[in-house]
Amino acid sequence: MAPSSSSGLTFKLHPLVMLNISDHFTRVKTQLSPPAASCATGNGSSNADATFLQNPRVYGCVIGLQRGRTVEIFNSFELLLDPTTDTLDRSFLEKKQELYKKVFPDFYVLGWYSTGSDATESDMHIHKALMDINESPVYVLLNPAINHAQKDLPVTIYESEFHVIDGVPQSIFVHTSYTIETVEAERISVDHVAHLKPSDGGSAATQLAAHLTGIHSAIKMLNSRIRVLYQYIVAMQKGDIPCDNALFRQVSSLLRSLPAAESEKFHENFLMEYNDKLLMSYLAMITNCTSNMNEVVDKFNTAYDKHSRRGGGRNVFM
Amino acid sequence: MDIEQKQAEIIDQLVKRASTCKPEALGPLIIEATSHPSLFAFSEILALPTVAQLQGTTDSVYLDVLRLFAHGTWGDYKCNASRIPQLSPDQILKLKQLTVLTLAESNKVLPYDTLMVELDVTNVRQLEDFLINECMYAGIVRGKLDQLKRCFEVPFAAGRDLRPGQLGNMLDTLSNWLNTSENLLISIQDKIKWADSMSEMDKKHRKEAEEGVEEVKKSLSMKVSGTYDALGGLRASLFPTNYFM
Repeated sequence: MAPSSSSGLTFKLHPLVMLNISDHFTRVKTQLSPPAASCATGNGSSNADATFLQNPRVYGCVIGLQRGRTVEIFNSFELLLDPTTDTLDRSFLEKKQELYKKVFPDFYVLGWYSTGSDATESDMHIHKALMDINESPVYVLLNPAINHAQKDLPVTIYESEFHVIDGVPQSIFVHTSYTIETVEAERISVDHVAHLKPSDGGSAATQLAAHLTGIHSAIKMLNSRIRVLYQYIVAMQKGDIPCDNALFRQVSSLLRSLPAAESEKFHENFLMEYNDKLLMSYLAMITNCTSNMNEVVDKFNTAYDKHSRRGGGRNVFM
Repeated sequence: MDIEQKQAEIIDQLVKRASTCKPEALGPLIIEATSHPSLFAFSEILALPTVAQLQGTTDSVYLDVLRLFAHGTWGDYKCNASRIPQLSPDQILKLKQLTVLTLAESNKVLPYDTLMVELDVTNVRQLEDFLINECMYAGIVRGKLDQLKRCFEVPFAAGRDLRPGQLGNMLDTLSNWLNTSENLLISIQDKIKWADSMSEMDKKHRKEAEEGVEEVKKSLSMKVSGTYDALGGLRASLFPTNYFM
């Protein structure tokens, strides 16, 4: 059900849409989770219920712009699936559409989204129902299962096309490739979300560890890419792969930009900043110590005060 | 990178034409290739067997021209001006651009004086115009001109064709880079472990101090009727050690 699309449209997805969809899914899942926990040990039909509640499917609409052959998906909003008729709530959709039109007059309803691991047959009905708003809607599918081995985003975009299967023309979902496009504001907020620290991460050690772990994973990715390049070029040198001169040129220009930060001025600045930071932490420690010392002295005074003069004047320690 | 994409089509066309046309027509083809404004890569054409056959024939000068453009500089051309046919202004320009690329290979900061000598340009204004119009707008280099220090800083320059020995150097640099980044990864991991162990020690120390205070409080609460003397003395002996953390 997933050959590649041939419509020639380029899709651009904004991260806001992905954050919205995952936020919607997380909200619904946490709201349903107390009953899911209790029936997780069920059997038979209640098992199916448990899995349904573990991963509820959420639905919504995506809106954006279509300029020529480029489809840019900017935003999304939630919709309810009517379980009896298996269609999306039409009146709500239209109301939301009007409201969005007032704020963003250029945006159209481009399609709809849902969560799950694969597109199903019932999705086709919803897809067809949307065809009267947009002749060729897109279907954005987010896979909420966390897979640590997967390196790409778990988002797939499907379009519908008419293919002849077994002699019967049917519309089926086909994959399309997409790119991520960000606006400056989006980039800042996505960066912020990616660097969420645990809310009680007050201790300096955990914050330092989190920061270092971030740098560590970034360098690890760089390392793996350089290794791929290295092995590829070694293979070319040995003659296993035909030489690609364009690649050689690009790699040589890349290597020429190394070392990127190796000059007199850089060392000076770096050491100066390092010394400044050390001085500041030294100053902070000394201030800490003096305030502790002050407390000790006060306590000592109070303690020995009561001891030496009962109800008398103060016997000052210092 | 963009230069490669721009050149890829031109290279393909020229390679196709060179492999299909007769040896006599290769000469003009090479002239055309070396004058093309956006083409800076010649090793594909050099690698063609038909071109290699030019060696030793009357047209071998064209092969030399191609080799000059692939690996040589303006200085090389001036030294060998007798062997190589007169170059057209387009070709001269291209050769100067390629010279800048070669200079950028060795240093990231190119002084104006070196550039003026290498490119045969006498005043700074002409040099800067050449750098800006021909090199930066063509996209083969990206950099900053520093007029006060009279130098040209080049963080990025497009690659020239590889001389046979340069591949080994490239591999060495790549493996050094790999080793450095691996060492860096290891040291970062060590730092993370150090930070965790230091915080563990700190917590333990704090806990021990708290426990000591608790013990003393308990033993003192037994002697409720104890004198102020004992209380003051014991507290004073405990607090100085507990508050210097």
